Amino acid sequence: MFKKTVAFRIFFWVSLILLGCFVFLPMLWMVNTALKPIDKTYTSYFFIGELTLDNIIHIVTDAKIMNYLKNSLIVSFGSSLMTTIVCALSGYSFSKFRYYGRKFVMGLFMMSQAFPQAILLLAIYGLMKKMGLLGSYWALLVSYTVFTLPVGTWTLKSYFDQIPDSLIESAKIDGAGNLRIMMRIIFPLAVPGMVTIAIYGFVWSWNDLLYSMTLVTDTSKRTLASGLVMTFLGEASTNWGYMMSASIVAAVPVTVIFVFLQRYFIQGLTAGAVKG
Amino acid sequence: MNGKKSGKLGDKQVGVLLVLPGLAAFVAIILYPFVDAVLMSFTNKSMLSADYQWIGVENYSKVLNDPYLIKTLITTGLFVLGATLLPYILGMIWAIVLNESFSCSELLRGVTLINWIIPGTAIGFLWSWIFNGQYGILNNILESLGILETGIPWLGQTNTALLCVIIARTWQMLPWYMAFLLSGLQSISHEQIEAAYLDGANNWKNFWYVILPGMSQTATLVFVLGLIGNLQHFDLPWTMAQGGPARATTTLSIEVYKTAFKNWNMGKAATVGTIWAVLLAAFSTIYLRLNRDEKG
Repeated sequence: MFKKTVAFRIFFWVSLILLGCFVFLPMLWMVNTALKPIDKTYTSYFFIGELTLDNIIHIVTDAKIMNYLKNSLIVSFGSSLMTTIVCALSGYSFSKFRYYGRKFVMGLFMMSQAFPQAILLLAIYGLMKKMGLLGSYWALLVSYTVFTLPVGTWTLKSYFDQIPDSLIESAKIDGAGNLRIMMRIIFPLAVPGMVTIAIYGFVWSWNDLLYSMTLVTDTSKRTLASGLVMTFLGEASTNWGYMMSASIVAAVPVTVIFVFLQRYFIQGLTAGAVKG
Repeated sequence: MNGKKSGKLGDKQVGVLLVLPGLAAFVAIILYPFVDAVLMSFTNKSMLSADYQWIGVENYSKVLNDPYLIKTLITTGLFVLGATLLPYILGMIWAIVLNESFSCSELLRGVTLINWIIPGTAIGFLWSWIFNGQYGILNNILESLGILETGIPWLGQTNTALLCVIIARTWQMLPWYMAFLLSGLQSISHEQIEAAYLDGANNWKNFWYVILPGMSQTATLVFVLGLIGNLQHFDLPWTMAQGGPARATTTLSIEVYKTAFKNWNMGKAATVGTIWAVLLAAFSTIYLRLNRDEKG
């Protein structure tokens, strides 16, 4: 793309080294701090020196934090599933059906990204309180599903758009009903898109702080992101070794999912937004 | 419509039926709460007592006369601009670097994205540790290089706290911009670039006059999405500084959260929120109008 002039080579190497340090070193520092014995937290050696798993073990044997982890898994898998179903249905509807008000509803879904979430939270809190849902996961599940709706619906719509109408027509002639066409023909053809949205929904729920901090009032139901904030921010003396270990524990599940399903993720991330 | 007939629903009905779950959730979580929040801004609703009265525009006159409002708006503006421009520019450079195929460029692309995928809480903790005034590694490095004599409490003083949050946000979002901009770079045809070089363009001209215009759609979209995301952003200013010190990192979303869920003043929080939404709508309209003028 660029001519390999001397100036470009200098730009390339300087950027690679400086940005490489900025992008990668902080994470290594997190791991490094987590692996240092507690009495060495404040020393500045970088991996070369005494290392231990004590901090990590302390965190993964902490019943409270493991309970947060379990809650996060439940909420994230749940909202990932709900998001995928709801987005697949709406995306399919937008893509293959024509009815009055379709364009308008599409516009509404798209707009929902621009509503400030902090404001919506004020009324959602009241609503969920009235319905007695503040002590359960439902408030979070429904909220996360809606916030992933615009991107999810658009990505899946673009997948369904690529399926030729003739395929649906011929299935109809063969006597297949709408449900059968959807489950046997349409959805199987859009599996890569559905996986993308499932991951997107999972990561969104896993990482959310604002809603999980507010809409779950029962400590035993807290998710990891808000649970860790409540655990560590209130303390008088901070134990950075534990904090970094807890951060790693919170980061590992999404990182593992990302590493294994990376291909889907990047594809969907860019394809959905650029086409949308 | 009974169960037996449902197999014979017309295409239109099926289409509407399919979109209903999404639409219902949208109404419950976006539309109703938004209307409710705007109405709330005209009341003295508080979490501390069950009943409340309509008080007209009293909240508005209070909030608009509050000297902190301007401060919050400026902080939000600085955060949104800084936390969009900085990762955007660095993300572009990183995309250009990783677009050159060298031995581990593929691997680096993947690994970079981990920064973006992990929870904001973890990122907030990590950067609070790096910027820590007593034992943070940043002070440590600066002291050993002889740049500083004593450590600076980066997150504890009003003139550096916001910058720290912007840097952490940059670290988090740089990969996201990189992924989009890289796909933009890769969508540009090689013939076009070759032609520009044959016409005697250098790298710099090639970037400004061929590559950037060629990916302008992606480049603009990513920028706007970045602005919207930052306007909403809550995690890092909260985990790193809880809006402090002395409101230095209190952006609009922190302000609404604090007013509502720390001071339990729902009416006032809704007022700040409504003013925010109005400003946002105004900016979007201006943006859309400018965009249309440019094209038309």
